[in-house]
Amino acid sequence: MLESLQYIYAPQIINGLSIGVAVILMALGLTIIFGLLDVINMSHGEFYAAGAFLGVSLMGLGISFWWTLIIVPLLLVPFGYLMQELLIKKVFHHKDRHILTLLLTFGVATILEDLYKVIWGANTAKPATPITGASEVLGVMFPNYRLFLMMFGALLIFAVWLLIYKTSIGSIVRAATLDRNMSASLGIPVNRVYALTFAFGVALAALSGVLLAPIYSVFPTMGKDFILMAFAVVIVGGLGSIKGAVIAGLLLTQLQSLSSLFISPVWSDPIVFAVMVLVLMFKPSGLYAGMKNG
Amino acid sequence: MDKYQYQAVRIMEYVMLVAAIILIIFGKITGDTFFLRLATEALIFGGLALSVDLLLGIVGLLSLGQALYFGFGAYLSALILRDWVPSFWLCILLVAISSAILGWVTSYIALRSKGVYFALISFGLAQVFAKSIYNTRALGASDGMVGVPIVQIPLPFLTLNLGDAITFFVVTFILMSCIYFALKYFLYTPLGRIWGGVRSNESRLPYLGYNTQTPKRIAFILAAIVAGVSGALYPMLRGFVSPELMYFSVSGNAVITVVLGGVGTLIGSLFGSSLLMILKSIIGTLTFHHHIVIGLLFIVVVIFAPKGIVGILCTKLKERATR
Repeated sequence: MLESLQYIYAPQIINGLSIGVAVILMALGLTIIFGLLDVINMSHGEFYAAGAFLGVSLMGLGISFWWTLIIVPLLLVPFGYLMQELLIKKVFHHKDRHILTLLLTFGVATILEDLYKVIWGANTAKPATPITGASEVLGVMFPNYRLFLMMFGALLIFAVWLLIYKTSIGSIVRAATLDRNMSASLGIPVNRVYALTFAFGVALAALSGVLLAPIYSVFPTMGKDFILMAFAVVIVGGLGSIKGAVIAGLLLTQLQSLSSLFISPVWSDPIVFAVMVLVLMFKPSGLYAGMKNG
Repeated sequence: MDKYQYQAVRIMEYVMLVAAIILIIFGKITGDTFFLRLATEALIFGGLALSVDLLLGIVGLLSLGQALYFGFGAYLSALILRDWVPSFWLCILLVAISSAILGWVTSYIALRSKGVYFALISFGLAQVFAKSIYNTRALGASDGMVGVPIVQIPLPFLTLNLGDAITFFVVTFILMSCIYFALKYFLYTPLGRIWGGVRSNESRLPYLGYNTQTPKRIAFILAAIVAGVSGALYPMLRGFVSPELMYFSVSGNAVITVVLGGVGTLIGSLFGSSLLMILKSIIGTLTFHHHIVIGLLFIVVVIFAPKGIVGILCTKLKERATR
């Protein structure tokens, strides 16, 4: 009993955790963009792919992995800023905003995915793991990079939470969400806050792309495969909630990795989405909806 | 629907009819089947777009998973035709009935939510179905099913052979016209008026004594039937089905088609689908990376003409009338 716990469940749980942290990072960007701008960003997965591709290219130029962790998200900030300013702002006050922004970002996703094929080709790349070796946790060996990913990701998630709920920047962002006109009359440059928030979400997606590139491979459609999981996490957690994204992210990835012990892993995706549908049936706005309560 | 939109829709109906006749004559003279088969496929996906427009434009529900019913219809049709009996009428009838049942069952899940959440739940439902089909060996798993036979349609005086491109095109055109006019008829019934009410202000309707859940459910089931029947034609045309038919790209494309044609106009769906198919094949011959151009087109349409082609036509008519 104890042995099966140690050798069968523990590795699955820890593997699930490392995937979970990565998914939560993706979901954070999505949920912040939705919570603040009320925009469902369909191109989020493509920004994640952009991060991975840029990371691989920069490392090919001889820049170390640790620098790409900083450079790549910064490279995508202006892109996110311009996307909000030039595209999304145009349909922001339309009454069908949800549909139109969804289509806009879907269009951007279509372009980007094809662009990656033009620039980087359709082949799969896999960067070298920046941290090699393995360590023993609970008597089982784990790759060091996965352990690093978990710690770093957890720190990052905590930092984002601190930024939004405990700093003055965060309160400006939340104020702009809550009441746009009131914030504007108090002197908050609402449009710039919106654009910077969008850019911040994009940068988060790019960062998770860089972080995950050494574990998964890098290919043009990689965003599509991963975004569905991130969407499920955001939906179950409640659109706009950081706490919800963390809880749902851990829950769904554990469900995914533990269920693969009992049934064929190909069924884990349908199970995750079935849980998502079930949650929506009984709590139609997810576990914690909105940016208000953390 | 104001006077100009009424005119715009009427013009586009004629344009569709004339285009179809020209295409048939062209096919008859040159014996070329490529464009006819392309047009047939455009109409089939136009049927899917019609069902999206019924939900989005008429009732105000954005469905991101309409490919679920389309794929369901396609798989069921392939199964009936290949493994049981290659009968057109029986196949369409059975698909329509089963799609209605599927729509009725799933409506109890999807219609619990509204707005963005409806969009997401419909997306999730389609995802569960698509992945399950993808994993089911009996349904061909990731390969799908091939070898759907060519169907004959027995009529009182003659038998139509769907292997012939012109015949298939005419049959599809007539079927889609029937669906189009039936849906248009519904708009002018009391039920259609309630749909319009649900779209403009759902929370007010109960105060006026109307139940909104039943009309929404009827629309949802109708949309499922339309999508399912359109899907049923797909394996007859292409001879195979694959799980890609249920994927998000198909649902997403249908929504884009509707927006391109004009939300809430119904004819816009069929028109938009044909236009998209033409664009895709033209750009596809010029460059291998046609998605970049298509993506740019969507962005331009959404920003500059969010009412689609019907909207553009409307403003043109209005300008001409007031000049």
